[in-house]
Amino acid sequence: MREWHIAAAILVGALIPCGWICLRRSFAEGIVALQLAGTIAALALLTLAEAERREPFGMLAVVLIALSFPGTLVFLRFLERMK
Amino acid sequence: MSVREAVGYGLLGLGVAAEVVAVLGLVAMRDVYDRLHYVGPATLGALLVAAALWVYQGPSQIAVEGSLVALIVLVVSPAMAHGTARAARISEREDWRPQPDEGIEVEEP
Repeated sequence: MREWHIAAAILVGALIPCGWICLRRSFAEGIVALQLAGTIAALALLTLAEAERREPFGMLAVVLIALSFPGTLVFLRFLERMK
Repeated sequence: MSVREAVGYGLLGLGVAAEVVAVLGLVAMRDVYDRLHYVGPATLGALLVAAALWVYQGPSQIAVEGSLVALIVLVVSPAMAHGTARAARISEREDWRPQPDEGIEVEEP
């Protein structure tokens, strides 16, 4: 197992608390966790692509991070309308 | 292990540590505004992982992709944090501006 595998495993493990916040806390706190999870998931994909020596798979990380922020914006619109 | 690899692994370790700190802060804090502060270290983590890829691999496709990810996070993350705080405040108080019952003094322009 390479060091990049270990880094990817830690980053994937770091997604679990974010999921817990999304499930157990308020909608607004869940959105914060979602933002953080998007960044961590993109870095996990990046490190995994390097660990497996499959460089083109790094593009998945770029696409994920580029789409995760607009996705969060949609949830923010819902949050603004919640009373 | 060469010096280049050692520096690369060091930067990778720091980047992953920054993400872990961000997650621990997210879990430990009490409300949405406190939790929002811990999205910041994630930006630093993205920059460190991108730097690790540049040092470890040199100019390569994966290093450019890492830089793109770090750049997107660096540019968009502050705006998203601001938007989240604003939306949370509107959800709580129906307006993002300070309200009279909050006791916040605002200087008129």
